[in-house]
Amino acid sequence: MTLTDRQTDALGEFINIAFSRTASSLSEITGQRVLLEVPQVEIYPIEEVASNLARFLPGDVASIHQPFDGAIAGDAFLILNYEGAVRLTELLTDNGGVRQQYLDESAREVLTEVGNILLNACLGMFGNVLRVRVNFTVPNLHLESLDELIDSVSKEHDGLRYAIIIYTAFRIRESAVTGYLVLVLSVVSLQRLIEEIERWEERQEQEIHTSQNPAKSDLSV
Amino acid sequence: MIGWMSEFAAQGLLVTDENLFIRSCNKWFEKQSEKSERELIGQNLLEVFADLKTRGFDRYYRDALGGQSRILSHRLHKYLLSMPPSTGVATFAQMQQSARISPLFEGDRVVGTITVIEDVTERVAREMELNVQLEERERLLASEQAARELAEENSRLKDEFLASVSHEIRTPLNAINGWTQILLNSDTNAEKFRHALSTIQRNVASQVQIIDDLLDISRIVTGQMRLDLHIVNLADSIENAVNNLRPTINARQIKLIKNIESRPTFIMGDVNRLQQILWNLLSNALKFTPVGGQIEILLREVDGFAEIIVRDNGHGISDDFLPFVFERFRQADGTSKRQHGGLGLGLSIVKNLVEMHGGTITAQSDGKGTGANFTILLPLLIQQDADETVESVNSDLRNTERDFAGVRVLVVDDDADSREMLRYVLEDSRAQILTVGNAREALTQFSIFKPHIVISDLGMPEIDGYDFIRQIRALPSDDGGQIPAIALTGYVSAEEQKRVHSAGFDIHVAKPVDFYKLLEIINNLLRQTDRTGRDER
Repeated sequence: MTLTDRQTDALGEFINIAFSRTASSLSEITGQRVLLEVPQVEIYPIEEVASNLARFLPGDVASIHQPFDGAIAGDAFLILNYEGAVRLTELLTDNGGVRQQYLDESAREVLTEVGNILLNACLGMFGNVLRVRVNFTVPNLHLESLDELIDSVSKEHDGLRYAIIIYTAFRIRESAVTGYLVLVLSVVSLQRLIEEIERWEERQEQEIHTSQNPAKSDLSV
Repeated sequence: MIGWMSEFAAQGLLVTDENLFIRSCNKWFEKQSEKSERELIGQNLLEVFADLKTRGFDRYYRDALGGQSRILSHRLHKYLLSMPPSTGVATFAQMQQSARISPLFEGDRVVGTITVIEDVTERVAREMELNVQLEERERLLASEQAARELAEENSRLKDEFLASVSHEIRTPLNAINGWTQILLNSDTNAEKFRHALSTIQRNVASQVQIIDDLLDISRIVTGQMRLDLHIVNLADSIENAVNNLRPTINARQIKLIKNIESRPTFIMGDVNRLQQILWNLLSNALKFTPVGGQIEILLREVDGFAEIIVRDNGHGISDDFLPFVFERFRQADGTSKRQHGGLGLGLSIVKNLVEMHGGTITAQSDGKGTGANFTILLPLLIQQDADETVESVNSDLRNTERDFAGVRVLVVDDDADSREMLRYVLEDSRAQILTVGNAREALTQFSIFKPHIVISDLGMPEIDGYDFIRQIRALPSDDGGQIPAIALTGYVSAEEQKRVHSAGFDIHVAKPVDFYKLLEIINNLLRQTDRTGRDER
């Protein structure tokens, strides 16, 4: 399934809002300026995900996994490579000058929370903005190879699945840590998602239109 | 609502309604918060834990009421609900917590929140300690690594050096060996004879130089290098060094420019070592300047220092070698294919000597092919009296005729070759020589021959040089007990020098013997002891 340019743009804009909310949330919590780079969005069938991500994610990856269900159902992941995960934890927390050597339990907690904030922002937008009901719980952190991760996801569901891959980077204190937000959905859910985003976009345009032409809106009442 | 499981949970559990009034909490919570049931149940969470609002944590509860679950990691928040620290862990003012706030659903509707709190104080303390240990270990590893790399580099340099030494020592030996064989085996004419001998002599000199350098380095390294300080006129030192190298300067058609202030420049220094320094720098300049090139020597006084600059327009020093130019064992090219021989010790020794004189030396070059200059600064002697006596290196003695007519010299040495050489040299200056092969015979001959001066080897069988001189000194003055005595020695350590002097010798001369120096010493000794009436004895 491929998206039109317009659909891709709309999806991108949608995600952007979620990401900027995440960034401000993290900024507030850590007291530092946290920026999330404007995301690049791509869609692949799940079989192609491994090959597309493999060169950016060799070795072990840290993934924060949040399944969601409701009108749109699937799995959301925030994926970082191991070093990136360690680095991100270091950047976000003030360790009193002691370097983060590896992902100890506290570090994993932090990553889980970051994933939690990001995924809440995205999935939360589905709920609030798209007016689509989505339920989700607290995410889990896993450390494993990319292949193992994809395997475990594919195993759980039958049928054709797609992955929306959103590539971004966390920018904190002049450092950048790249990460991937991956939303795995069934065809049905993906179609529903795209429909809802298009509707959302139309509503946006109407609002802009009416706010620019107040006289017209009076007439319509 | 939660049931009996919550009573035994090792975490705090707290349930509120949709307006954040506390519905229930478990035993852990009661105990740890140190609040009674009455203080909690039915109260508003935001009022019981007032700092939730001030810290801005109330929004997490609002998010939960909106259907979102929230994890609050310890690292980013420290704690959710303020509670006293657990006993036994005194480092924190509050209990350190990680927490989770989730909505409670009834169908599609959110009807309240559930908070799970975990006490992570111990875990945090442990992690901090572990991190510190890990960092310490990394630091250690890094410094070990650095030390190891340094050691390996040094080892490599020393290996290169040893290979150099081996080569440099064998090369002259080869020439000496070869030419002596030629002289022994074939018919030679006078010219070939002369050529062979001068080659042999040149190579001996080079060998002596190498061994001297090695010994110097050894002395420097073991802290045994000593300076024999006197008032020295640097202008003279420079003049002598230049004269010494004049043959080479002329042979290579080098233009030598001397820019030396006309009045004398006095410093406190070791005459011979200063010669060594200047000779080294000049011969380096010669080595690295092509035929027809130019070398400049400048001497002037600057701010209480004597400044000597030796500048050439030859090879130059490359940028990456410049910082290492004074290091031991370093040569710009230490491999077997290098163009310039030598051990790479010269400049290192020079730097040490300069610094022992309280001075500094720097090298400067604009890179390959642009020449180099070396600048030495030595503290000037603060002169009270311009008429201080000055000792300068002996000028070229070869041209001075020594006349020891009427002087009787007793030579004691168990080595026949040594005796023969001394005889030839001394007879040349018209002295009367008696050579004996052992100390016993020398003592017997002493009263018969009545020498004016005694030259003795130290290492001899039965009675060695020390015992010999002690016995001589035991004699009354009229019988020659105070006779000037020179020791010939292979050792030149400071220990050995002391021993030589305390046994009774006036001076020692190192082997291999520099005969011109020996003649000068004899001359000085005779003059010192005022033995002008040579024929009176």
